[in-house]
Amino acid sequence: MNEESSVPFTEFWSWLQALPLSEHIGFTWWFPLLESIHVLAIGFVVGTILMVDLRLLGLAAVRYPASRITLELVPWTWLGFVVAFITGFGLFMAGATRYVENPAFQIKFMLLPLAALNMAWFQFRTMRTISSWDDATVPPTTAKLAGATSLLLWIGVLLAGRWTGHLL
Amino acid sequence: MKDAIANALAESQARELMLYLLGNVPGLPPIVQTFHIAGICIVVGSIVMINLRFLGIAVPSQDITEMLNRLMPWMWWALLVNVLSGLVFVIARPLRYFYNPVFPYKLALLIPAVILAFLVYRLNRSEQKYWESSSSRLRYGQFIATVSLALWVGVIISGRWIAYWDYLPFFYE
Repeated sequence: MNEESSVPFTEFWSWLQALPLSEHIGFTWWFPLLESIHVLAIGFVVGTILMVDLRLLGLAAVRYPASRITLELVPWTWLGFVVAFITGFGLFMAGATRYVENPAFQIKFMLLPLAALNMAWFQFRTMRTISSWDDATVPPTTAKLAGATSLLLWIGVLLAGRWTGHLL
Repeated sequence: MKDAIANALAESQARELMLYLLGNVPGLPPIVQTFHIAGICIVVGSIVMINLRFLGIAVPSQDITEMLNRLMPWMWWALLVNVLSGLVFVIARPLRYFYNPVFPYKLALLIPAVILAFLVYRLNRSEQKYWESSSSRLRYGQFIATVSLALWVGVIISGRWIAYWDYLPFFYE
């Protein structure tokens, strides 16, 4: 590691990592417990997003309107996301100074905002016209593009997330 | 018998090859693990969501028969990917897994989970609308769904604990 850290807020990460809770997570069975719940939560996040993405690509569940698949699954995506975020933050606290320097972790947290942007873009641009293609077996190119982008970004998040553990 | 299989694997050329590949192909371990996690995501997106549908707490507009027809093929393929990606690590380090105290628990949860999934899938195949044709069958299905849900959650959680068994004092005290 460099003498001078390239990552900003060094003192904040050190402070976070030195909290009693962080140390408790890092040195006890809390860490694997949080990690195993993190994986389960990821199952819900990516499992449900995958179904929506495949519907947007016209590859699965085409008998259902795209909006209905999305509306029924999105609460489960959010539930998974909240649990993944809380457990993930717990894991992060335990080794904050190492994670922020970890290239795989940095990539993961570049991909996650991109996935969010893609979702927001889809929500505010493509969903406005959904009534005209909701039942279409072959959704319009913009919807397909959103689905494909989301699929790739989330696979990237999984890979970068898993890779993080190999670089600690 | 376990010792025999473990030792045979440990001395096999397959093991040497896997160990060589995992150690020398850049990024191969996290890539294979990502396949494993993607498989887990599909298991959650298929059988776990079907179980939640049985219990009436998810995807209310989709009917059970249609979900089983549509989603179970995804689950079988995902399971195959999980077995293969998991085997990569078992073959590379057989002793680590054969003598891991958590690994048997994962298998003990996985096997009944797969049997129950197959049962629910098979009965639906032999008679469409099987689970929705009477309220007693639906209740029976809901009971299976509850057990299945607990088993799959257990499989996913215990899978992660394989790497952390030494955090659990009762395994070595």
